[in-house]
Amino acid sequence: MMKRILLLLSVLLFASVDAVAVGGGIVIDGSTTVGPIAKSFAAYFKNRYAVPVTVSESGSGNGAKGLINGTCDIASMSRAMKGREIAAAATKGVNPVAHTIALDGIAIVVHPSNPVAGLTRAQIASIYEGRITSWKGVGGPNARIVVIQRESNSGTQGSFGELVMGKGVQITRNAETQASNGAVKNRVSSTPGAIGFLGMGFVDRSVKVIGVNGVRPSLSAIRNGSYPVSRPLYMYTNGQPTGVVKQFIDLAGTVEGKRIVGELGFIAQ
Amino acid sequence: MNLGTRKILDNSFTAVGMGSIVVMALALLVVLTPIVYNGVGAVFFTGTIEHRTMLYKEYGRGDSKTIEAQSATADRYRGEAYRMLSGFEAEMEGMTPEASREYRSKYAPVRAAMSSLLGPLPGDPQPMLTRFQYGQTRWEKAEEKLHDILYEKKWDYSDPTVMAKEFYVPRAEAFAGTKLAPLFGYVDKHLADMMQPQFTFYWGFFTDRSLDAHIFGGIWPEIQGTFFLAIGAMLFAFPLGVIAAVYFTEYAKEGFFTSILRSANSTLAGVPSIVFGLFGLAFFINTMKVSESKSVLAGSLTLAIMILPTIIRAAEEAILSVPKTYKEASLGLGSTKWNTIATVILPAALPGIITGGIISLGRAAGETAPIIFTAAVSVGSAIGIADVFSSPTPALSWNIYNLASEHEMASEIRHVQYGMVLSLVSIVLLLNLSAILLRAKISQKLKG
Repeated sequence: MMKRILLLLSVLLFASVDAVAVGGGIVIDGSTTVGPIAKSFAAYFKNRYAVPVTVSESGSGNGAKGLINGTCDIASMSRAMKGREIAAAATKGVNPVAHTIALDGIAIVVHPSNPVAGLTRAQIASIYEGRITSWKGVGGPNARIVVIQRESNSGTQGSFGELVMGKGVQITRNAETQASNGAVKNRVSSTPGAIGFLGMGFVDRSVKVIGVNGVRPSLSAIRNGSYPVSRPLYMYTNGQPTGVVKQFIDLAGTVEGKRIVGELGFIAQ
Repeated sequence: MNLGTRKILDNSFTAVGMGSIVVMALALLVVLTPIVYNGVGAVFFTGTIEHRTMLYKEYGRGDSKTIEAQSATADRYRGEAYRMLSGFEAEMEGMTPEASREYRSKYAPVRAAMSSLLGPLPGDPQPMLTRFQYGQTRWEKAEEKLHDILYEKKWDYSDPTVMAKEFYVPRAEAFAGTKLAPLFGYVDKHLADMMQPQFTFYWGFFTDRSLDAHIFGGIWPEIQGTFFLAIGAMLFAFPLGVIAAVYFTEYAKEGFFTSILRSANSTLAGVPSIVFGLFGLAFFINTMKVSESKSVLAGSLTLAIMILPTIIRAAEEAILSVPKTYKEASLGLGSTKWNTIATVILPAALPGIITGGIISLGRAAGETAPIIFTAAVSVGSAIGIADVFSSPTPALSWNIYNLASEHEMASEIRHVQYGMVLSLVSIVLLLNLSAILLRAKISQKLKG
């Protein structure tokens, strides 16, 4: 009996020994917004060059920490590295280099039943500061606004704060925090009074995208900068990349890479 | 107390006991029914020709002749629909610019829905992403897409002061009098002909690699990762736990130091698992540098620390429950202390020790928090045994969470998520079941 169990376990353990080449893979950690791009690049890269790539989506802040501590080769980030992150990297002898892989608009989304079609940047800021608490305040129905934000680790949250709220403006303490783009989408699509913000690649018909300052986030509006809430998406490496990591980063500039980015709903640069 | 009261009390106590068992059984049923029902749907479902084509192209599985024959039939019916699309596109070219523009904006969603149902339309470039290279692989999803083609979901925003209500408009109305008008009736009537639905037993769900971030394919890398992590944790925690339990029960002198150790152990058992996860990241990866990045090794070590207190506790109980007479007899026959422990006490305590071990194994397999920062990734291939020291791995518990919240197409692949949940629950149940069987077997042997 015991022997048979041991045999079973060892068969299980060794079943896939020769499944993949040993080591030499690329480890990517960071933004949930960049996640779809990183995952699709990884799949394409593995098919094409047989180099294993693993992708974790634990947030831009964790990606930066990973790169600084040397636990990942590429940190995908939906915001630029902050001064103190670069300083922390320097003390560990890490030299973060940014590579822009795509452009992304932060779509402001509400429940599809919400008749509000657009807001100004100032109105959105007031809602997130907690000064406007009812949709009536922006010309909508008399319903309480459920404000949804991301966690502090999120690059989308950082970009939103910078682009919409302005530096140093606090988001209301009544705001609900969700830990990923997907979770924000779920919450907004199931809550009639909700407002939230998402990377463009996550928008689908379960939520309604509203215009900001009269401009809707479209490919052209983001590219020419008329949509006010857009930002580049980055992949950071330690120093100028070499070898397979360089090959991976360069993928974003190739025709195939740009098509992948486009198909995912982001904007290739 | 008189006899009558006692009887009533006795009966009501029995009733309450039975009642709570019934409530628990019902609760279990409420939890398990949807898991099993939906999870089974990941393996047994009505698959379309797209599913069979995908399996053939991506995994080389299936009979090429039947697939080609079915494809040909499906293509015959699809061809008619494609002709209607291209006919209408040509018709739009000939319209006035205003009319053409108006139709174009209405036509775009129809075209998108058609391509989502049938895969890339003729003339479209081959998509880069595997998810767009095939149409709907599951019949129930195909029916959803059919609804999207036939009806447009609209919201009544006429009154800005109330929340809008949704209503559906048949798309056919908007195209009345054009060459596209017959398409809607045609697709509705011939959906089955175009998709060739067929009952499918997709056993590959458990053994295939995932394709394009779980949109197609199976969950083998996750299952394997879960086993690696749980067994790895056991390799560290089980021997250590048993040795510690032997120390506590046989060697330690009761005193201040021992009682501190004991309460430390109990406290450790109550620490939330996320704390172990962060500790694992800070200690094993950032300080000890057991691996360059997250790895199975780091994850196993973290899980090992988490389950260690439970194993020590279970082993201690098992050793204490061995009758004192065994030990006395052994020592009385002139055996040394160590020999007594190794040949008399531990074998007698084995059923209890192993039960504790396997239940901990189940816990290690199911935990998410300790592996978030130390071992788990959302996408990765199945790793070989040689890679456990350096590579992170997908694992069921973490990927269930990932699919539930972070995945960009989460609502399209709920069946994969349920399949993973069912697999994880089954693995844990099987482990616990084997613990019970093993225990029965060993105690029988000891008696016999």
